[in-house]
Amino acid sequence: MNPGPAPPAPGPVPLEAMGLCRRFRNGRGAGPVDLAVTAGEVVALLGPNGSGKSTLLRCLATLTRPTAGKVRWWGEARPARVRARLGVAFELSAHVEEASGIQNLAFFAARQGRRRDHPRAELEAILAGQDLLAVADDPVATYSFGMRRRLLLAETLCPDPDLLLLDEPTVGLDVTAAQRLTLALRASAARGTAVVLASNDTAFVERTCDRVGFLDQGRLVRDAAVATLLRELGPLRELRLRCSGEPPMDRLRRLPGVATCARTRDGVVLTARRRDGLVADVVRALGDADRVLQDLQIRDPDLADCFLELVGRPLEA
Amino acid sequence: MAGLVRAGGRPRVRRTRAPLPRWLPRRLVGLELLATLARRRALVIKLAFPLGLALPLVATSAPPFFAAMLLTVLVTLIGAVGTGVTVVRARGGGWLARLAVLPMAPARIGVELLLASFAVDAVQGSIVVGLVLAWRQPAPLIGLTCWLLVLAVLAIANALGLALAAVTDHPGETMLGLAVLLAPLLFLAGLFTGIPAAGPRAWIALALPFSYLDEAFQLVLGGNPPAGDPTSFALAAATTAVVAVGVAALLGRAVLGRER
Repeated sequence: MNPGPAPPAPGPVPLEAMGLCRRFRNGRGAGPVDLAVTAGEVVALLGPNGSGKSTLLRCLATLTRPTAGKVRWWGEARPARVRARLGVAFELSAHVEEASGIQNLAFFAARQGRRRDHPRAELEAILAGQDLLAVADDPVATYSFGMRRRLLLAETLCPDPDLLLLDEPTVGLDVTAAQRLTLALRASAARGTAVVLASNDTAFVERTCDRVGFLDQGRLVRDAAVATLLRELGPLRELRLRCSGEPPMDRLRRLPGVATCARTRDGVVLTARRRDGLVADVVRALGDADRVLQDLQIRDPDLADCFLELVGRPLEA
Repeated sequence: MAGLVRAGGRPRVRRTRAPLPRWLPRRLVGLELLATLARRRALVIKLAFPLGLALPLVATSAPPFFAAMLLTVLVTLIGAVGTGVTVVRARGGGWLARLAVLPMAPARIGVELLLASFAVDAVQGSIVVGLVLAWRQPAPLIGLTCWLLVLAVLAIANALGLALAAVTDHPGETMLGLAVLLAPLLFLAGLFTGIPAAGPRAWIALALPFSYLDEAFQLVLGGNPPAGDPTSFALAAATTAVVAVGVAALLGRAVLGRER
């Protein structure tokens, strides 16, 4: 888990949404949402498909006008005055496909940041940071999906924006690239950059973000620090076990602290609200029923469990 | 990247290089031009196909009224077709959304999109008008104003393409819109029937740049249009170019889909 947000910088809050609402004719969309992100804070929006994460992000990224409510960037309500300080990456990593990676990067670096002139060596260093130097002069059309995503992140991060807005930033990234992104975002946050990202990659969110907002049907149902949310789950633990013969379901269900106990195709999934002595009790219950434990996997709860606990629906729709 | 296997040897990786690899574009127009240069086959076809239509018209004794009409329609289509479809595709692929959140004024993005399409179309149109002028050798002033009018009509046709891209979501819809929009405009410009001497249609024709280009081509091809002189051609070209840039600037926000 990350070390926590950097101390807030003096001055106006980088991002503040007040009663922000964007609803479509079919009733879907996002809001009303109240959200404030301070400098150096990394905030994730979690929610199942269609919960309004991307819609909310598009409003915060100055692309879409809210149907109600307000957004302020450093206290400023006029998007044209703040765009130079934003770094935005939507889900689609659109590029000029015929131009090379470095040519696309040169354009975004020049247009996005405060500085127009980026020497080739500097751009190459940025691409090297995303492991794209070897293909810097190749047309983007020849890139794989993951390479395009890494180029998109390079373009978004290179002007060193004051506020980063990222939609599903880990889609298409391998484990190494996702870990590199965590380091890059934490480094940006340490420099005072505020980050808002929409993602359902709970492992990435847990190690990268300070705070999480749970979105359900467009509404922010919970907004708290990652550590707080995980702590609130209590000593929840999930065991997946396989044993010889038919599992003794009744005995397992009667164990102290067991919340759920369900039969799967090849075993049992058991969740319990205690940790101490749980495994020993399970082994004993199996032994009492003349069963032998063949396989046991223990999983600690994550943000997906928090979401399920709080909303009553799984995170992945 | 296409990997090819040589007979009996190691796999040979054929690497495709982007055009002008040392050039790092800092403007949208530069990046868009790179994309055009990279599509070499499409570029050759784009530059060659107007000649296939224009050459028979100037080389044979086609009546000037007829030949001028076809050349004007050709120039208008060169300008209008590519822009609208390209912009609609760019929106569908998420490219315009990326541009929309950049700190660039929508008017500027609109004008840069127009310029990028116009630059290639100008080469295309100049080849056509160059061929016509070289073959028929009109008075230099007539030739110059005809060329300026070609550029102006290309610019306004590009702006019409942008306008349609702002209100359509699919390339097919854009093409249909172009047909619906251009056919009456070309008719009202008097291309198919000639310009009436007086009345509302005469005024409408005067307001449309296509009528001036049609007359300029008629003059170049040895015809005798009812009106038209190099001064009015030059004025029409200048006004049209200004209107085209203005329309592109105004449409920037709508084309991008940026709501704020």
